[in-house]
Amino acid sequence: MTSRTTQHVRRRRIVAATASIAAAALALAACAAPAENEQAGAGDFAGQSLSALLITSHEGAANWLKENFEAETGATVELTIVPYDEIGSTLALDQQSGANTIDVAAPWYVSIGDLAAGGSIQDLTDWISSTPSLEEDDFIQSIYDPYTLVDGQRYGIPFDGDTHVLFYNKEILERNGITEPPATWDEYLEDVKTITANESANGVYGSAIFGQKSPLILGAAYANRLAGFGGTFVDDDGKPTINSPEAVAAAQALVDAVPYAFPTPAETDFGVGNGAWYDGKVAFIENWTDLGVGSETNPDSTVAGKWGVTTLPVGGDNTEPRASLVAGFTWVISANTEKTDLAKAFIEFAASSEVNSELIVADPQTGIDPNRVSSLESDAYGEKYPELQNVNRTTLNGSLAWPTGENATQAAQILTDELAKLIAGEGGTAQETLDRVQAEWETILG
Amino acid sequence: MADATSVRPRLSSGLVPRRQAWAHRLVISPTVLSIVVLGLYPLLFILAAAFSDSTLGKPFRDWVGTENFELVLADGDIVASFARTVLYALAISIVSVILGVVIALSLERATRSGSVVRTVLLLPLITPPVVVGTLWKLVFNPGGGLLDTLLRGVGVEGASVAPLSSTFWALPAIGLADVWQWTPLITLLVYAALLTQDGAVTEAAALDGAHGFGLFRHITWPAIAGTVAAVFFVRLVIALKVFDLVFIMTSGGPGQASTTTSYVIYQVALKEFDVGRASAITLLFAVIVTLITLPVAALTRKLSHD
Repeated sequence: MTSRTTQHVRRRRIVAATASIAAAALALAACAAPAENEQAGAGDFAGQSLSALLITSHEGAANWLKENFEAETGATVELTIVPYDEIGSTLALDQQSGANTIDVAAPWYVSIGDLAAGGSIQDLTDWISSTPSLEEDDFIQSIYDPYTLVDGQRYGIPFDGDTHVLFYNKEILERNGITEPPATWDEYLEDVKTITANESANGVYGSAIFGQKSPLILGAAYANRLAGFGGTFVDDDGKPTINSPEAVAAAQALVDAVPYAFPTPAETDFGVGNGAWYDGKVAFIENWTDLGVGSETNPDSTVAGKWGVTTLPVGGDNTEPRASLVAGFTWVISANTEKTDLAKAFIEFAASSEVNSELIVADPQTGIDPNRVSSLESDAYGEKYPELQNVNRTTLNGSLAWPTGENATQAAQILTDELAKLIAGEGGTAQETLDRVQAEWETILG
Repeated sequence: MADATSVRPRLSSGLVPRRQAWAHRLVISPTVLSIVVLGLYPLLFILAAAFSDSTLGKPFRDWVGTENFELVLADGDIVASFARTVLYALAISIVSVILGVVIALSLERATRSGSVVRTVLLLPLITPPVVVGTLWKLVFNPGGGLLDTLLRGVGVEGASVAPLSSTFWALPAIGLADVWQWTPLITLLVYAALLTQDGAVTEAAALDGAHGFGLFRHITWPAIAGTVAAVFFVRLVIALKVFDLVFIMTSGGPGQASTTTSYVIYQVALKEFDVGRASAITLLFAVIVTLITLPVAALTRKLSHD
């Protein structure tokens, strides 16, 4: 906290000095036009209140932001916490119904196209481009565009730079004679088979696979493999490519791994999967990088000091690990709020480098991952979680992102439903499954 | 006796009838308001949405005619959910009613003052569905749930028994939770009907040699048949709407194995933001529900009047 405060003071002095010079220059030029986007200072919003909508996984971060923003500005922040898969619909209904109780929200980035098309969120393009203090260039570029851009306009500011990596339990690997974590999905499958064969009688399995029928759960497990095999959801023009050979191979890799996973993948959501990991019941789990923070700080964790982390395995012809933006949440401002200035001040604060740097190492765990280069490379992150910092750097070299335009949430659900049928043995082959998805995506995504 | 015409002059004054008319309107206004708010407005909204391009953020964007209906009827998963839901509801209702009647008869024979038993029977009914779903999900948990523990206790490898992950057993497992929750309602209603029987008739029949199934078939059943049909109707309607247990226990999986129509509507409207298609599914399902329940309603009327 001290370092953050010091940095803020330093920044304010720089801003103040810059402002003084600018004011003098303007006075000399006899030009008295006010700046279009003046930044709010401490206390400017005293007595005002802001309503923020976040998901349950971000409750820790939400409380941190509330406490610090209130102290910094004098405003009051009212929090509304909803399940991760309800935040988009909650925001849309709030705006459409005219209730307008929400000022800012941090929904899943995939939903911003539908929220924009539905008139639920504001276009922030002009504000972002005219506000240098947002430090656009500092955002991790492979995250920045997918999290914010819809048809060339920016509707959000990145908040939680969620990418999946592969965690492994060192003790379980040692017991089974595995000296290195897998680099390919084939090696991963072999390791998982070995461990499950050796230890499932004792309740220990090779992996936990998130397989519950939800885009953020089963969709994530698939996206990890799609990234590894070098596939994409859509091409550069936004056309679906979900039945490419890489996509089919990724689906097959998922199907092959399911029988050896912690029982049962269809019932494994975040709670079940993370619980099995903290209990030391699974050797591998694909998860957000903040699971490493939780492994050390969660009171229920039995794996503190016993875990390692590596990049997601690769497959097929692809040899370069790729980050998979399976979740990821972005700040948006509701369309009908009457507190746009306060909302902008809040998300500028919440998405700042200083705050992101604090949140990614906070104890208790906040569920936030790096969204900026500066926070990813911060000394505190490197000192406390060097392995996490290292694997997170894969996001600097490009990443796999979901489509984000209108109908993207429907597209994600269609894929998830078909994958659920595939792993349940109801969907035919991986190729047939993805051919069906491709046909539907071509209809709704163009 | 007063002559009817003698009161007519007061009516013809024009003041009283107007006052009476307003009084009538005032009296029936809550009913009319309820119908409009609770019935007519939602129906009109769903109708308009079903024939338009409607999203969660912007309803009624464009008139699309029957496009939403065509999309729904061309979607194999949605059509399958109609059939799955109807079969589920019929099976669950039949099982619930048979169990409810049997338990009610046992209760009636065992104790006529079993207030404790009746109170215990109320417990599943007053338990929120979300708790019922969570409870049964824990029972079926393959990693240490009650079923798993029992099977391990008798030497069966429990890890392979995961009903909620089986495409065959997932829906029956949800049905078991559903039956557990709603059978007590049927039991209590049938038990109440049994208590209204004339004891003298039963006693006379017994003296004439009727007993066992014969006594039930010729004496007890005619007395409670109307009630049983009515509770079957109620149970069927409740089962057709099942959502909460599916949401909590399986999220409609594995695959589409436990995806009921209510769950599809929720998914399409709130996860895919497509209110137009969700409304079309709702209307089609309403037609199916009507076709299924009309014969049951007619049977209920017939048995109640016999």
